[in-house]
Amino acid sequence: MMEFEKRGVPTVSFTAETFVADARRSAESFGFGGLPLAVVPLPFTNQPPDAVCVAVDECIADVIAGLTKTIAVQKQVASTTDEWLTIKGPSELEALEEMNRLFLERGWGDGFPLRAPEERSLAQILKGTTRSADEIVAILEPGFGKATVEKIAVNALMAGCRPEHLPVVIAAVECLAEPQMYIRNKAMSTGPHAPLIWVNGPLAKRAGINSGICALGPGAPSYANTVIGRAVRLCMMNIGHTYAGVSDMDTIGSPTKYSMCVAENEPGSPWTPYHVDHGYKADASTVTVHFVYGICELHDFTNYEPARLVEVFATAANNAAQLSTGLWLIGRRADPRYGTEEKEHHTMFICPEHAANFRKAGWSKQDIRKAMYAKARMRFDVLMLAKERKAMEAAHPELQWLWDSPETMLPVVEDPDCYEIVVVGGAAGRGAFFWGAGEPQTREITDVGGDT
Amino acid sequence: MSVLRLRNPIAEPVEQKMEPARRPGDLNGKRIGLYWNMKGGGDVALAHAQTLLRERYPQARFANYQGSVGFIMRHCTPAEADRIAKEVDVVIGTTSD
Repeated sequence: MMEFEKRGVPTVSFTAETFVADARRSAESFGFGGLPLAVVPLPFTNQPPDAVCVAVDECIADVIAGLTKTIAVQKQVASTTDEWLTIKGPSELEALEEMNRLFLERGWGDGFPLRAPEERSLAQILKGTTRSADEIVAILEPGFGKATVEKIAVNALMAGCRPEHLPVVIAAVECLAEPQMYIRNKAMSTGPHAPLIWVNGPLAKRAGINSGICALGPGAPSYANTVIGRAVRLCMMNIGHTYAGVSDMDTIGSPTKYSMCVAENEPGSPWTPYHVDHGYKADASTVTVHFVYGICELHDFTNYEPARLVEVFATAANNAAQLSTGLWLIGRRADPRYGTEEKEHHTMFICPEHAANFRKAGWSKQDIRKAMYAKARMRFDVLMLAKERKAMEAAHPELQWLWDSPETMLPVVEDPDCYEIVVVGGAAGRGAFFWGAGEPQTREITDVGGDT
Repeated sequence: MSVLRLRNPIAEPVEQKMEPARRPGDLNGKRIGLYWNMKGGGDVALAHAQTLLRERYPQARFANYQGSVGFIMRHCTPAEADRIAKEVDVVIGTTSD
């Protein structure tokens, strides 16, 4: 609606009560305070038509007022005030507890205790990068926060990061801010979109990122994984201004949103590493971020033939209760401001044992992708169970014949390249399947400081 | 007494400013755009709003719109927004949930 207002056309938006703060915050981030809303008690989704009409009856006066009355422009989102905060306590421990209380009260924490971003530690962590502290790495949506190296470092510090982790977090923030990532959608959505991060190249080892047993944590071997993933979440909050209940409208939330970071198990992989497949040199280090909805185990202790393994894996992809399954039928994730479109990708963490079985039989990663594409298929009517028919009519007018052939089996993703393959984990036949939201983004890490 | 001197973790937002469009004061005789983002029930809401507004403003005219890009939520491209802005005087939308 902002686009119409910009063009001189007054607007009013139906908005459910729960989403009022979200809508106002979003409009304010575009510099439009006082967005006119017609507030209804519940979202229209999942409501019978009678209930929708009653809700409209009750707010039609607000619709008219929003279109005809002059808008009182309200104050925009408050800018940062004091750059340095002073917190006192009878002892250092109590001052730290007070800091944690205050930061949580202001919404600056993820719920776990935070490390104090004090001057000396900040100077230390900044040694992890060659970049200047005041360099703006990116502008992070939805709040259009200026992601300076220093702000990233402060949040990384609060998460528990060490200097050698900082370049990884900076590169992950660059991934988040890439227009093709369309983070505005993923950060603010009612869905549990969570950034899954994987690191490739020599820096993964130098930063102590676990690629083996229990790589996704918890535990001491995954300390670096945990704090890097956590830092990225804190950056989304305190730099991107993604706050639960205000600009993150996730219906249920997910533990995956706290932290998800691994390194690819390159020594345990029989194939070229992920980053090499994507055009980077083997000695380069990269970070990849893929927003995902959830995880399903890829357990198979029985099979060693590739076709049988894929048959098992494909059952994870065949899940119509998962939004991205068959989403291509109603269009693609798109941000018209940048002209971007994304296909829905899924990420598969294949364990070294399964990977070795594939390789022994001569299978490449592309062979697995093609086999997944061929095998992960569902009936059209099942794929459309929870999707808007009119959206499918708009997205694919050429496929309307499918309504008369509902039993037609269709792939759950658009093409074989929608399956990302990364080798991760220890020695057992258990991988992980992540239902993705859009496409991953990869960035090379080039700013490693001298003290790492 | 211990004192912690801490760096504020909050990033300053890029300042953006946008003036709201000038309101017409009355809808009678106006062209009213009904913009559905394709989320379930939004079409029903807009159709009902049209019915209610037609009763109050018999001279108003209505046009339905949807964006051409997106998935569960569809958006207008800039070109579509330009076209719609020329075709209507005001827009009622279903945008948030």
